[in-house]
Amino acid sequence: MLDSWTQALVFLLLSFAVPIAMLVVGMVLRVRSRRKTSPIKHEIYECGEEPDGPAWIRFHPRYYVVALVFVLFDVEAAFLFPWALGIRDNGWLAIADMTLFLGILVIGWAYAVRKGAIQWQ
Amino acid sequence: MTWTDLAPLGVELILLAGALSLLIVDLILPPGDKRILGIGTLGVFLAGLLATWTLPLDGLALGGAYEGDAMGVFLKRVFLLSGALAVLAVQGHGPKAWPRRQGEYHQLILYSVLGMSLLSGVRDLILLAVAFELMGVPLYALAAWQKRDAGAAEGALKLYLTGAVSSAATLYGFSVLYGLSGSTRIADVAAAVSAHPSPLLALGATVAVAGMGFKLGVVPFHMWVPDTYEGSPTPFIAFLSVGPKAAGAAALVQLLLPGHGALLGTVMELFLVLSAASLVLATLMALPQSNVKRLLAFSGIGHMGILLMAIATGTVDGLASLLFYLLGYLFTNAGAFVVVHAIREDGGDDSIDSFNGLVHRSWFLSGAMLLFLLSLAGVPFVVGFWAKLFVFMAAWQAGFEWLVILGALVSVLSLFYYLRVAKAMFMGTTERRDEVPMHWSVRLAVSICLIAITGMGLYPNPFVAVAEAAAKAFLG
Amino acid sequence: MITDPRIYLSIAAVLFSLGVYGVITRRNAIGVLLSVELMANAVNLNLLTFGRFVTGASGQVFTLFTIALTVVEVVIGLAIVVLLYRTRSDVLIDIASELRE
Repeated sequence: MLDSWTQALVFLLLSFAVPIAMLVVGMVLRVRSRRKTSPIKHEIYECGEEPDGPAWIRFHPRYYVVALVFVLFDVEAAFLFPWALGIRDNGWLAIADMTLFLGILVIGWAYAVRKGAIQWQ
Repeated sequence: MTWTDLAPLGVELILLAGALSLLIVDLILPPGDKRILGIGTLGVFLAGLLATWTLPLDGLALGGAYEGDAMGVFLKRVFLLSGALAVLAVQGHGPKAWPRRQGEYHQLILYSVLGMSLLSGVRDLILLAVAFELMGVPLYALAAWQKRDAGAAEGALKLYLTGAVSSAATLYGFSVLYGLSGSTRIADVAAAVSAHPSPLLALGATVAVAGMGFKLGVVPFHMWVPDTYEGSPTPFIAFLSVGPKAAGAAALVQLLLPGHGALLGTVMELFLVLSAASLVLATLMALPQSNVKRLLAFSGIGHMGILLMAIATGTVDGLASLLFYLLGYLFTNAGAFVVVHAIREDGGDDSIDSFNGLVHRSWFLSGAMLLFLLSLAGVPFVVGFWAKLFVFMAAWQAGFEWLVILGALVSVLSLFYYLRVAKAMFMGTTERRDEVPMHWSVRLAVSICLIAITGMGLYPNPFVAVAEAAAKAFLG
Repeated sequence: MITDPRIYLSIAAVLFSLGVYGVITRRNAIGVLLSVELMANAVNLNLLTFGRFVTGASGQVFTLFTIALTVVEVVIGLAIVVLLYRTRSDVLIDIASELRE
């Protein structure tokens, strides 16, 4: 019982201590920068490449759409690995399951294609 | 697992098959008039409702992760009705305002209801997490529906950020619960809590409940509610303010009440504090509002306080009162938002002023709105009165006298802001004398809600009996 | 190979706290999304640790699902941020307060 209380205490302390510590450190550092402002302080990287142009340049929105579609289908593939390991034990039922799963994904894919989500022009 | 194992998921299968077929229809149809999709979606919801009476939905499914029972069936009806009302009310607005995106609106609502429907009988933390997300993710997209409007994008971002943070917190809580009990089955978790009560388990439960509180929009996790309500299409808000709230309450019930409320015991104080805070703060913040949607948003936060009160009892009476409350709240709140939608369609701007003199322009809308407001406030002869009364009675018996007194006081106070809208409708003046134009679908949706709240207000007994049977089936 | 689960759980707790810190202090919506992702990964680490040291495979199954859920959320979040950027051409959250009273 004592042990589990200690764990809870450590957890609580950690979850309070980390943000507080970061805020305090940030505050300490900020005092110095407030006293002496220089244009360098306002740069994105204090050392390294000079930023060229605004940081928020306009990417073509299509880029995001394609990326989003890719990420979605990419992660669904994660479910294929445990399925491949268990397919021997579950036989045709496993195959039917995965067919259904992939079937739904294919309909989603058809939707993305039909609505022009992956057409660049 | 075999395929016959899926019988209790009949409603979900109908929703999934319907949604996918409608998606294919949407893809095949040439761009243009797609009213058929809305009608088809309504058909899917009606088929699902019909299935709750005709199909055998009891029993275990998905290897024990899901169990259909009378409470699940009751909740499914609430969810399906909320989806159907949201889809019905948009039939006039949608084809005009966003003809190219009709398919998506209906799809998203269908998937969200599918997620809720799965929540109605969940017995496993993994399925609970997945179903909760399936319910929540379509809502983010729907909140950003008016995509040219910066306010809508902001409201959606607020809903999304609170939602994403809350699901991360919920999942963290689930991971602790799973790790300390060694099982993802909720029953096993509850048993582990009873056998070895540990502060870490309580911590896990607290984090999980706080995460779900975000979705319910209880104080202090309510910041997103008014902004999202203001920025989103009103028929969608009629859905968002009812379906997901009911589903969130259902998820809390599924998580906390099994095993004689073992987990509920660990978060009881939190629950009572959240409930009291929601009741008081929501009422105080609703009083100065001049926008009807924001006013209804804060009123909704107050109603979540009452839902938490009902869950905190952990008794059969409390659960029955919660189920009855959800049913009554569904028709009341959805009806009120559909009226707001009708006024908006007429050129209003959601402010209380745009309700001025409504009685001269449509006795139907103004009378309906009055009844919805009275029901929200809990005045006798409409369902809101019984719903609140049953919750208060159950909570009194469970020993939360102070909370009940607080709830009753707040209800009286809430009459003031509800009646401000009524005053504008009946005593305000307007130059216009033309009848408010109403699409048949809006008229039908308001009529359904109106009949439901007066019917349940005058004869609550059969509905209470069903709710009680459902609560008994769940708590055993 | 460290065999004490508490180390992993502590790392997860720190990760989660960092995520909460980021959510509270970040002004940029993308930064908040990153912080949420940090919280989700703390969950994954927790689940994997419990699955490895305490119980069987269900922790890993749970992890697969949380990964998928998180990705779905992040994708829709990015879509909303892109939408906000198109209407307002910045994604700073505390400027996103037109709706506030």
